[in-house]
Amino acid sequence: MSLTQQRPSAVTAALAEDRLGVPSIVFFVISAAAPLMVVAGSVPTAYTVTGVIGVPFAFLMLGAVFALFAVGYVTMARHVVNAGAFYAYAAQGLGRTQGVATAWVALLAYNALQLGLYGIIGSAAEPLLVDWFGASPPWWVIALVAWALTGVLGLLRVDVNGKILSVLLVSEIAIVLLFDLGDLTHVAPEGISFEGFTPGALFVPGVGAALATVVAGFAGIESSVVFAEESKDRHRTVPIATYLGIAIIAVLYAFSAWAQTVPTGPGGIVKAASDQGTELIFNQAALHLGTAVSTIGSVLFVTSSIACMIAFHNTTARYIFALGRENVLPSIFGRTSARTAAPISGSLLQTVLGLIVIAVYAFSGLDPVTKMFFIFGTFGGLGLLTLLTVTSISVIVFFSRDPRGETTWRTRIAPALAILALCVIIGLTLVNFDTVLGVEPDSILRWILPGIFVVAIVLGLVWGRVLKSIRPEVYANIGLGAQAVNGSAK
Amino acid sequence: MAESDLSSPSLVDDLYFVLHDNVTGHPLLHSRLTGLALAGGVLGELMLAERVALDFAASPERLYATAREAADEPLTRAVLGHVIAEPHHPVGTWLLFFARTIYADVAARMIAAKLLKPPVRHLLKQQPPAPADMNTAAWPLARLNLTIQRRKPPVERDCVLLGLLDAAGCAQRVLSEHDPRFVAAATAMLPMALRRLIAQTKVAVGKAVISRR
Repeated sequence: MSLTQQRPSAVTAALAEDRLGVPSIVFFVISAAAPLMVVAGSVPTAYTVTGVIGVPFAFLMLGAVFALFAVGYVTMARHVVNAGAFYAYAAQGLGRTQGVATAWVALLAYNALQLGLYGIIGSAAEPLLVDWFGASPPWWVIALVAWALTGVLGLLRVDVNGKILSVLLVSEIAIVLLFDLGDLTHVAPEGISFEGFTPGALFVPGVGAALATVVAGFAGIESSVVFAEESKDRHRTVPIATYLGIAIIAVLYAFSAWAQTVPTGPGGIVKAASDQGTELIFNQAALHLGTAVSTIGSVLFVTSSIACMIAFHNTTARYIFALGRENVLPSIFGRTSARTAAPISGSLLQTVLGLIVIAVYAFSGLDPVTKMFFIFGTFGGLGLLTLLTVTSISVIVFFSRDPRGETTWRTRIAPALAILALCVIIGLTLVNFDTVLGVEPDSILRWILPGIFVVAIVLGLVWGRVLKSIRPEVYANIGLGAQAVNGSAK
Repeated sequence: MAESDLSSPSLVDDLYFVLHDNVTGHPLLHSRLTGLALAGGVLGELMLAERVALDFAASPERLYATAREAADEPLTRAVLGHVIAEPHHPVGTWLLFFARTIYADVAARMIAAKLLKPPVRHLLKQQPPAPADMNTAAWPLARLNLTIQRRKPPVERDCVLLGLLDAAGCAQRVLSEHDPRFVAAATAMLPMALRRLIAQTKVAVGKAVISRR
């Protein structure tokens, strides 16, 4: 849709009024990444589970890899517009069948990232409830409350309002920085150590597990391109917002992950994180800055987790909706709720899956943080890595047919470097998957989970082939998203 | 194509009635989607009256005016005026553009035409404008339900109405019996331009659902 006309147009001007600028998109993408949740939830869990000190370096390194990936990604966004970016790019670059397989992987990865969040909300809210009421219900009761809230808001299509989101996000970042400052003024007896920033501290056994967690921390940043059509200037707004988002996240997370090690010293962080879990940074803050600040932080931790849940719930529901509109999923998933304009079936599916996962974990008594939040998070992270790799390959293939005036750096070199780096990270993650799961190295489980993605890819490829032969009209529209109902053949 | 005039009861009015409760006037569809559907309705009305057409040679297909004069009716005249002034936009852009304001405009026009009662305030809460006559309001939907029941293809204007209702995702909710195949068959008989308009409305609705705002 061409809205950029040479001469001034009343229509273009009126439509431009409610288009998004760089700050709005940055806010949207960073809030989906939920800074406080990552700093308070993912980082200590990564220290605990992996025992790797180099988490801060991992954030910086992955920030660089994401930036490299983004070069080709945002270039593609200028030429292919679609709300379900990943599979649309794969469909355009590698072919429609591969697009279906990518869609399957994306669905699985986003589902995992969203469902895992139900594991963290309990430990986020528990200390507050104990503080206020003297007791706290089991984690799954809290998770069910969050689940119900997310489900209802999803059906009502309440996206956390942009203004509320900005306020929450700014307070989150402020409190994270304040906590960091508190840490920096209470140096461990052995002095400040920058060991966390050295590659040597990262590339130790367990590195792959640490990397997968860190990737999950970046999840959400890739959603910047879906705003392409709603942005002020597709050619500039989206790239700037993407790079800015990646930079802010990488630096903030790396710095905060390192700051957590300052009071304990690099030697003490793993033990401290294991003992205190998600309460670590709040305990540190209470010690350094007083309980009031710590409590504000805890409240924001809860709101941050819920905002993140809603964001991922809605992202996944929309993804399902786009696939339903294309008839790649049954067309019932392409249905809208008339009253609220919510993608109703996708939303309900998400909610049902959430209930199942919470119930399974509640009944089996597995630890919600290390076994649910962390495993689902790394599983989703692994899926995300796969998606990034496939997307980078698609970029290269897409532009090899027609460079469309883009430079070689954007269309070949940067995506190729990204593929290389991503493959190494995927390899390391797979090698360390036993650490992620907390199982013996020879456990079959470590191969089953990554195997789910392989199964999804194979099934996706098969389904793509089936569609091609039995419903060619549906096959022709794969990768078009909402545009699919327009039909290319009509 | 049967030359129809732009006098009431118009396609847009019918669509408004179908998308709102006959008695209370409460909306049955989300306001954003209602706006898109009504925008589709007003363009459909102009197409039926042969005031605008689609240029299929352009990609994406562009909407252009084929007549300078609408009726004396201010809303369609204003819409046609916009299309005349900027003949280079595709249908999708026009849908988004008119969807911003058309809801209020249509309601105001129908109040002026005494099809709706002016909105009243109850306990601080603004009530939606209720239909002046319940039977008039119920008639368009009853007509659609009857044709579906009898499996008889509706007249051209009602085919557009049915198509837009389905595009807005509201067919399931309001029709007594929703058969997607019947809707598809009914819309398939329409001229190309109207079929494209309905498809573009469905695209715009889908995008509105996916959009995060």
